[in-house]
Amino acid sequence: MVLEYLANGLVFSSIIVLGSIGLSLVYSIADFANFAHGDTMTVGAYAALVTFGAVGGLGGAVLGLPYGFFLALLVGIAAAAVVAVATEKLVYESIDTDSIGLLITSIGIAFIYRAVIQIRFGADFTRFGVGTLRPIEWLIPYGIRVTQHDVAIVVSAVVLVTGLHVLLQYTDLGRKMRAMADNPDLARVSGIRTRRVTLWMWVIGAGLAGAGGVFLGLFNQLSPRMGFNLLLVIFAAVILGGIGSVYGAMLGGFLIGMINQMMPLVSDLTDALPLVPSVGIEYANAVAFLIMVAVLLVRPNGIAGEAT
Amino acid sequence: MSDAPDADGDADAADAGAADVAEPTHPGETVLALSEVDSGYGEVQVLDDLSLHLDAGEIVCLVGPNGAGKSTVLKTAFGMLEPWTGTVTYHGREIGGMAPEEIVREGIGYVPQTDNVFGSLSIDENLRMGGVAREEGLDDVIARLYERFPILDEKRGAKARTLSGGQRQVLAFARALVMEPDVLLIDEPSAGLAPNTADDVFENVQQVNDMDTAILMVEQNVTKGLDIADRGYVLDQGTVRFEGTGEELLADDEVSELYLGG
Repeated sequence: MVLEYLANGLVFSSIIVLGSIGLSLVYSIADFANFAHGDTMTVGAYAALVTFGAVGGLGGAVLGLPYGFFLALLVGIAAAAVVAVATEKLVYESIDTDSIGLLITSIGIAFIYRAVIQIRFGADFTRFGVGTLRPIEWLIPYGIRVTQHDVAIVVSAVVLVTGLHVLLQYTDLGRKMRAMADNPDLARVSGIRTRRVTLWMWVIGAGLAGAGGVFLGLFNQLSPRMGFNLLLVIFAAVILGGIGSVYGAMLGGFLIGMINQMMPLVSDLTDALPLVPSVGIEYANAVAFLIMVAVLLVRPNGIAGEAT
Repeated sequence: MSDAPDADGDADAADAGAADVAEPTHPGETVLALSEVDSGYGEVQVLDDLSLHLDAGEIVCLVGPNGAGKSTVLKTAFGMLEPWTGTVTYHGREIGGMAPEEIVREGIGYVPQTDNVFGSLSIDENLRMGGVAREEGLDDVIARLYERFPILDEKRGAKARTLSGGQRQVLAFARALVMEPDVLLIDEPSAGLAPNTADDVFENVQQVNDMDTAILMVEQNVTKGLDIADRGYVLDQGTVRFEGTGEELLADDEVSELYLGG
C-alpha cells in the first residue's frame, strides 16, 4: 500500500515539479509572483488536446502513448511558451509598475486565459483520447498499481528536468540566467543583455508549465480550471523549496506532490489513533500548506534558501 | 538602477563583439569626459553642471562629503543614470544615455561598491560572466587574470559568496577586467574592509592601472585614494569644487579643512 502511494506521489510530484520550476524562474528573473502560471499550464494542455485530436493516430506507441501524443506534447510546450512570451512583450513589459502591480496584472491575465479556453472548449471535463490502460502486471504483486502512462509522465519529467539542469549549469544561457537571478543589476553591468535572457526564461518556464499541464491532463483530466486549481499547491512548493531557487522549486515540488498523494496513509493513521481527529484525504492541500508553514518557521527562506 | 536606460537586447547586435579589445589610447588623450552634466534619481537632482575628465593611463580619484554626488558621477558615466543635460563622451563619442550592457562593449568597466560579485556562481563563472560580450579570447584573458590574481586561481571552483571581503573585491576587479577595458570605474573599493585588506585593494588598483587601464575611482579613504591618484576632484553638492594632483589636494589647507576632515 505504501509503495503504491509513493508511486502515485512520484507521478504527481513530476507534474508539480514542472509547474514549480517555471513559477520560480519567473520570480527569480522577472521579480514577481505570476498568478497566470497555472493557467499557462492549462494553455499547454488544451493546445496538446487540439493537436492530439488532429494527429492522434500517428505512428506507433511508446509506454502506451501514440507518437502523436508526444507531438501534441511538443505543441503544448510551444503554445504555452508563445503565449507567455506574447504576454510578457505585450503586457508585463509595457506596464510601468512594481512587482505588486505585475502580480495583480497576472491575476487578470489568468482570468483572460481561462475565459478564452472556456469559450472555445466549454467548462466540462475532457480527456486525451489515449484509452485507459491496465496497471503494469509485474508491479501488482508489490502493491503498486501504476500504468505505462504514469511511467511516461515520470520519465518525461526527469528528461525535462535533467535538460534544464544541463542548460543551467553547462551553457552560457544557463549561466546568464543564474547570474540574473543572483544579481540583475550586476548582470547588466557585466554586459548581459538582460531582456534576451528574460525572454528565454519565459520560454523555458512557460514551456515546462505547458508540459506539466499536458501531463496533468493525462494523469487526471482536462478542464479550464485545471491549472488554476493547482496553482496554490505550486506556490506552496516554490515557497517550501525557497522562492527564487530553481533547485529549491524542484525539491519543494517533489515534497509537496508526495505529501499530497501520501494523504490516504495519514488518513489511515489518524483513524487508527485514539483522541486524534480523523484527517480525510480531502485535506491534502491543507496538510501540505501546514507542513510548508512549519518548515518556514524553522527555515524562513525555504529549504534551499538562496537564489538559483 | 530604476532610471537606467532600457536593457534592449536587440540593439546593435551586430556590434556585440566589435569592441572586444578597447580602442588604443595615447598618453594624455582624454578617454572619458563629462561636460556640464546635470543628473539625478527620479525628480531629485544630484549632479549640477558637473565637468570632469579622465586621461589615458591615469588614476583619478573623486572625493568629497557624503551626498556630494561621487557615486552618481560613476553611474551617469556608465549609463545607469541618464544625464538630464550635458554630455558624456568616450574617446570623443557621445555615450550619455547608452545602456550599461552596451557601454561595457565600448570598453568601459564598472565595479560597484556593494553586491559586486555573483555570490551563487563560482569564481570561474563570475569571470565568464564578465566576458559575455567577448567574441574570442575569453579563455586566454581569464588565464592571464588567474596568473595576475593567484588567489582566484586557487579557489576558481568555489562559490563567490564564500570569499572574504578583500577576495571579493579582487574578483570584482577581475570580472570587470575580462573585457580588457581601457577605462575602469571603481566605486569605493576599500569600503568595509579592514585597513590591511584595504591596502591590498589599493595595490590591486595600481596593478590594474599598470595594465594601461585608466581608472576613475570614488573613495572615502581620502588620504589613500589621493595618494595613489594622478589627479583628484573634490566634489560638493553635485559639482567640482577643487581639482588638482593628489599631492596638491592633500596639501591644500582649505580643501583639507572643508572637505577632507581637517
